Amino acid sequence: MASLRVRRLLGPGRRWLSETVPGAPSPPASPLYPPVVASITAKSKAAKSRRLQRFNQRVHAAATVEEKLRLYGKLQRPKYTVYPQTFALNADRWYRSFTRTVLVPGMPPRAATAKPPVAAAGATPEAGRAPEPGVKAPAAAEAPGTAEAPGAAKTPGPAAGATPQIDIGELRSLVCDALLQESFYQNKKRPFLYRDQDHTPGPFLTQLVSTLAASLSGRNPLLAASSLDLNPEVNYYWHHGTEVVVHGHRKGRVDPVRFQIDDNPHLQIRVPKQLPEVVPLESDLGDVPVIDHKPSKLPLFKKQYENKVFIGSKVADPCCYGHTQFHLLPDKLKRERFIRERLEDQIEVVYRSNGIASLFAWTAAQAMYQGFWSEADVTRPFVSQAVVTDGKYFAFFCYQLNTLALTAETIKNNTRKNICWGTDSKPLYDVVEDGNVKGFNDEVLLQLVHFLLNRPKEL
Amino acid sequence: YPLFQRGGPQLRIFRPNFFMLAVRPGVPQPEDTVQFRVSMEMTKLDIRNYLEKIYNVPVAAVRTRIQYGANNKRNHRNQRVKKPDYKVAYVQLGQGQTFQFPNLFPEKEQDAETRSFDDFRDKYMEKEKEKQEGDPRRGGVPDWFGL
Repeated sequence: MASLRVRRLLGPGRRWLSETVPGAPSPPASPLYPPVVASITAKSKAAKSRRLQRFNQRVHAAATVEEKLRLYGKLQRPKYTVYPQTFALNADRWYRSFTRTVLVPGMPPRAATAKPPVAAAGATPEAGRAPEPGVKAPAAAEAPGTAEAPGAAKTPGPAAGATPQIDIGELRSLVCDALLQESFYQNKKRPFLYRDQDHTPGPFLTQLVSTLAASLSGRNPLLAASSLDLNPEVNYYWHHGTEVVVHGHRKGRVDPVRFQIDDNPHLQIRVPKQLPEVVPLESDLGDVPVIDHKPSKLPLFKKQYENKVFIGSKVADPCCYGHTQFHLLPDKLKRERFIRERLEDQIEVVYRSNGIASLFAWTAAQAMYQGFWSEADVTRPFVSQAVVTDGKYFAFFCYQLNTLALTAETIKNNTRKNICWGTDSKPLYDVVEDGNVKGFNDEVLLQLVHFLLNRPKEL
Repeated sequence: YPLFQRGGPQLRIFRPNFFMLAVRPGVPQPEDTVQFRVSMEMTKLDIRNYLEKIYNVPVAAVRTRIQYGANNKRNHRNQRVKKPDYKVAYVQLGQGQTFQFPNLFPEKEQDAETRSFDDFRDKYMEKEKEKQEGDPRRGGVPDWFGL
């Protein structure tokens, strides 16, 4: 009875415990209400992250690479223009921090089998030089390198007989011919003011590369299928780090720092197959410099224009991987000018900054052409080479791109770094006098030949 | 400056009337950069020669800009009062030298007497303020309000 009164007090509409059926709850066929997530249009951090996620999904879901590139560079905002050939002091340190690159002096220790044997006159210096004058190359890799190189140099020669030895004398004569033709035999007027580089070293470099590539294409089938570009354009656009907007109607908002490289190498060789990786993807060969200051202190200036990503040819071109770039330093960055202003240590900085910036832009643009971007990081390393010269002095660079994820969110868990191997600048010859090239340096020519003969293992 | 023509003499200034003032940068600058306020008529070459010849400071690079002084303030007669313009020079030092603007007003070590006096003064000010405000339990109601 007490329970009856309790039930009447509770009222007729109330459901009591005995009326509910204890058992498995019936699963709803579909949720009655949409999921509770942050708004898209609100002025809040959650809304901003939702908008970013929607943008990332749109780029991931893009059907073609052209569509991905179009969406990636759609929003135009003021960005820093990074010039690979710059007179800014210590620019290579800043560029390494922008692109997360480790600089390793010397050339990477290549496999001895990748080097074809050289003619007898140059055999011993070649075998001794096989691990390259790489100071930082680990001693363990050097010792097997030196032991392997003489063995490999001797065995494939007589055993296979298919790879004839490189005639260094013939190549030297080709180079000297091009040099003398441009600087001695051809009757040229005096160069216009500040146009010295276009007068002699420019045509000499073009002639040199085209003749060397043509003569070595019989040995390297990749060169035979390559495409040589004259004065191409290479562009890349990326985000790195964050800053707070200082002036304007967007004042106070946290924005990514945007960079753009627009580069015009003197010559470029593009190939249909990718160069092999030098070291594994996750290797750590050094430290990336960390610079706390804003990039405008370098000095670097902001401009707003098209966000372009370009390797030298459009996406549909079969030669979509890069092999070697050749850069000519302008008159503004001559050696004599640095020596006159007592800035001798900045001479090498110019070569290094040019190599790092140009190669980063090229390899990253190649990776974007394959569909990778900062949210979809590369799964295989992209390797390219470059030669930076001012007509007489040559510096060689080899770049391995291991990561594209440089934005503020993606760099948090990113342990990979890009690696650049680079040499100091060495003269190819001492002086050209009376139809003779004095003091020709065979090492530089050999390094150039090795660069051109670099190819994947299968070929 | 007198115009230079080919074959003419090199301009030499022996006792310049320029003055350079080293200032603390408003935004953090790299370690090798020093910020100066210079005369509006000085050029980058002038700044470089001034520092190198007079003070023996190796200069790697000089960048200048002119800061416009605002003209918005008004005096008691509603005339606009202009703040003067000045030129700012950013000088990057050579030979790896660095410069950090010194702290001109370091906090001095106080002896026991001044410290105790400061503590006494702070406590006295606190008590005065509490007396002014009144009883916090009354929730801001003035003390003349009541039965």
